[in-house]
Amino acid sequence: MADKPTFSQEISNLMYAAHGSPVNNCIQCGTCSGSCPAVEFMDQTPRRLIGMINADLKDDVLDTNTYWVCASCYHCSVRCPANIDIAGVMYAVKRYSIWNKTYADDLVGPVFSETFMKTIARSGRSYEPILAPTYIFGFGAKEFFQEVQGATKMMLKGRIPVLPTKIKRLKKFRNMMKRIVPVGEEE
Amino acid sequence: MTEKNNNQEKVGVYVCHCGTNISKVVDVEEVAKWAGEQPNVEVSRDYKFMCSSLGQELIEQDIKEKGLTRIVCASCSPHMHEKTFRNACERAGLNPFLFEMTNIREHDSWITDDKHAATEKAKSLVRGSIDRVVHHEPLDEIPVEINPNTLVVGGGIAGITSALELADAGYHVYLVEREPSIGGHMAQLDKTFPTLDCSACILTPKMVDVGQHDNITLLTWSEVEKVDGYLGNFTVTVRKKARFVNEEHCTGCGICIEKCPFKEVDEVFEAGMGERKVIYRPFPQAVPKYPVIDKENCVYFKTGKCKACEKFCPTEPNSIDFEQEDEMLMLDVGNIILATGYDLFDAKKIPQYGYGKLDNVFTSLEFERMVNASGPTDGKIVLRDKESKPKSVAIVHCVGSRDENYNKYCSKVCCMYSLKFAHLVHERIPDAEIYDCYIDMRTPGKGYEEFYNRLLEEGTHFIRGKVAEITDAARIPEEEGKLIVQVEDTLIGRQRRVPVDMVILSPAMEARAGSKEVSQLFKMGCDFDGFFVERHPKLDPVATMTDGIYIAGACQGPKDVPESVVQGAAAAARVAGLISRGTVMMEPVRASIDQDACSGCKICNNMCPYNAITFHEDNEVSEVITALCQGCGTCVAACPSGVITGAHFTNEQLFSQIEGILWDVRPEKTIA
Repeated sequence: MADKPTFSQEISNLMYAAHGSPVNNCIQCGTCSGSCPAVEFMDQTPRRLIGMINADLKDDVLDTNTYWVCASCYHCSVRCPANIDIAGVMYAVKRYSIWNKTYADDLVGPVFSETFMKTIARSGRSYEPILAPTYIFGFGAKEFFQEVQGATKMMLKGRIPVLPTKIKRLKKFRNMMKRIVPVGEEE
Repeated sequence: MTEKNNNQEKVGVYVCHCGTNISKVVDVEEVAKWAGEQPNVEVSRDYKFMCSSLGQELIEQDIKEKGLTRIVCASCSPHMHEKTFRNACERAGLNPFLFEMTNIREHDSWITDDKHAATEKAKSLVRGSIDRVVHHEPLDEIPVEINPNTLVVGGGIAGITSALELADAGYHVYLVEREPSIGGHMAQLDKTFPTLDCSACILTPKMVDVGQHDNITLLTWSEVEKVDGYLGNFTVTVRKKARFVNEEHCTGCGICIEKCPFKEVDEVFEAGMGERKVIYRPFPQAVPKYPVIDKENCVYFKTGKCKACEKFCPTEPNSIDFEQEDEMLMLDVGNIILATGYDLFDAKKIPQYGYGKLDNVFTSLEFERMVNASGPTDGKIVLRDKESKPKSVAIVHCVGSRDENYNKYCSKVCCMYSLKFAHLVHERIPDAEIYDCYIDMRTPGKGYEEFYNRLLEEGTHFIRGKVAEITDAARIPEEEGKLIVQVEDTLIGRQRRVPVDMVILSPAMEARAGSKEVSQLFKMGCDFDGFFVERHPKLDPVATMTDGIYIAGACQGPKDVPESVVQGAAAAARVAGLISRGTVMMEPVRASIDQDACSGCKICNNMCPYNAITFHEDNEVSEVITALCQGCGTCVAACPSGVITGAHFTNEQLFSQIEGILWDVRPEKTIA
C-alpha cells in the first residue's frame, strides 16, 4: 500500500481534470499519432509516449519534446478508441515536469505556460503583450519583426487590447482556480 | 446443542467448500457448526465438494440413516447443481422438492474479500433456507408434451442449416424469412475465406434443398408478430406480407421483371451498388423463385396506371394479383430457433473516414457486391464512376469495432475478410498497390494464419496502425486527386499519408436494429450491444434462458460462416433431442386459485402473460389452467384478495425465509 506509486500511476493521478480511461488502457493503435497535426515536430509520437509511460521509462518520457509540442487540438482525445484523454496526458506530463523542474532552462514551453496561468489568475483573461515575450525572442530577427508588425496592426484594429482587461467577479474566479489548479495559489 | 423437538422436521444442512471457491472467504466449518445449533436441524456437515459422488452419497446416507425429512445445501447457484442434489434426495426416497439450495458462492464468497462479513452472510442465507425448507411440500413434476414442429426465424446460413438438419431428421420446420428470398448475407458474398470457394456455389444447393424439402414450410417475405405459449407448445403469429404475386400460379419465368419499366436502387441485396426493378427477385438463384412487388415504389400503386407486369404475365390464370393482402398465419410449434443475423455498422457515424462524402470510400458489403461476378459491375473492381480501375487500394480494419466510441467488441471476422479483399484485388488488378491498415491481425482458425502468410507473400503492404482519417485535401502534388489515408505506422513510429484511389472500410458486425424488441417478443435476454444472450457462454451457447427458445449464428455475436453453421446445427440437435423425447418434465411451480375465496374480480385474467387463467361465468371465479401456467407469479402478486398461491413459493415459505435471513435483527430477538 505504502509503496511509491509508479510513474504511470503518478501521471494517471495528475490527470485529474481529464475524463476517460487511465493510460494503461492503451491498445497502441496509433490513432492519436495518426491524427496529430504536430507529430512531425515531436521526437516521439504520442502513442510511443504513452507506451513509454506504461513502461515506467520516466527519464526517457521527460526527455522528449512531445508533450511540449502538443498543440492541444484534442483530435487524439476525441478519436481515441480506448477513450484516453491523450491531450490530458500531455498536460499531466507538463505539470509533472514543471513541478519537478526537470525541463531544460531554455525551453519556451514551461515559461510560456506559467506566464499564461499567472496572467489568467491575475485578470481572468490572457494578454498577449505579456505572453509574447516568453517565446518571441526565440524567433529569428525576420520572424520577430513580422510578429511585432502583425501585433501592432491587430492592436490598431482593436483585435488585441492596448491595456490588460479584467473579467467581472474576478474574486470568485480566483477561488475557483485555487480549487482546481494548485499553481493558481501563487502571489 | 439445543434440544430437538421430535415432532418437527429433521433438517440436514450441508455446507460446501467448493474447493477453495467458497472456503477461502467463508469460514465453512464455522457456518456448519453454527447451522447445527439452529432449530429443526438434525445434522450439519461441511464437505470439500458436495456435488461429488461422495458428497451426494453423504446426503443419501444421512436421509436413510438419520431419517432426515428436509435437506439444505449451501453451495453454488441452483443453476449449477440444484438438479444434482434433488436427484440425490430422490434416490434416497425423499421428494426432491423437500430440498432447498443456498447460494453462498455467487451471492457471497465471489463478491467480497471480507471473511467476517461473508461468514455472517452465509449464516443468514443458510438460516433463511432452513426456515423455508420446513414449510416445503412434496410436489410432482409435470409432464409436458413437445410439439414436433419447429419454427426457425431467419433464412441466413445459420437458419438454413438448422432447418435442414431438423427436416432431414424427419421433423417439420417452418422457416420464416423477412426478405423475399432466403440466403441472408452469405448470398451477397463473392468468395469465402480462407479457401476462397465461391459463396453462392456452396450456399445455393442448400437453398434449393430448403425450397424443395417436404418437411420445410418456407415462409419468405414474412415476419413473426406474436409469440404465445411455452416450451413444447408455442403458438406463433406470422404476418405473410402481400407479394402481389400468386405463388400457386407463378412459374417464376421472370417476364414480369423484364417488362417492368421502373428501376429502384437496391439498398438491401446490392447494398446500394446496383438497381433492381420494382417487381423483383433479389438475385437469380433466389429461393423461392416468385418475385415481389415493391408496393412503395410501384407506379400502379402510386398512380393507378401501368400494370405492365400483369399484361405480360404468361400464366393462366394471371399470377399478378394487385388485390393480395397480408395474411396472418397461426403456427403451433414446440421449439423456436432464432437466427436473425446481423447488421453492418453504419460507417457514416465515423465522419473522419469520409464514407458518404468521399465517393471512392466503400464499405465491405459494397465491395463484396462489386467483386461478385453476378453483381452490378460483373465482378470488375472499379471506382464509383464505374469505369476507372484503381491503381492503389487501402483497406481499413476496425471501423466501429474495438472502439469505445462505437462498439467495444472485436467483430472477429473483419481481419479475415479484409485479407480476402486484398487477395481479390491482387487477383483482378495484379499491378495495384494494396495497403492494409490494421491494429492487430486476428486470424485464429483453421487455415486462417496461413491465409495471412499468403497475403504477405502476395506483396500487400501491411501498416500496423488504426487509420486516423481519410481525406481528399492534398498537401503535396502527389496527393492531388487521390484519397489520402493518414495513419501512424506504429512499427516505425511515424505518421504516414498514403495516397490511394480507393478505400475499403471493414465495418463492425452489429446486432440487428430492433433486436431488443425481438428479444422481448420471444421473452428472452439481449445484452448491452443488442446480441441475444445464451444460457451459458461456454457450456450452453445455443440455448437461452427461456426454455424452448434457441439462438444460432450472428444474432448471438459476431461470427463467420463456419461458426454460424456449427451453431445452426447445434441448435437443431438440441431441438431434435427434445422432440425425440416427446415429453419433458417441467418444474411443478404453478399457481392455483382458492375457488372458495376468489372474489371474481378478474384482475388476474388479463395480467397472465400465458393466458392461463379462465373465468367461470357460472360461479364467477377464476381458475388457473395448470397445463398453461408457467409459474411466473404475476397473478400471485396481483390478486387483491391474496388467494392465489404459487406452489413452492407460498407466502409461508417466502416469509419464513425472509425472517430466517434476518434472524439476528428480528424484533423478538432484540426484545429477548
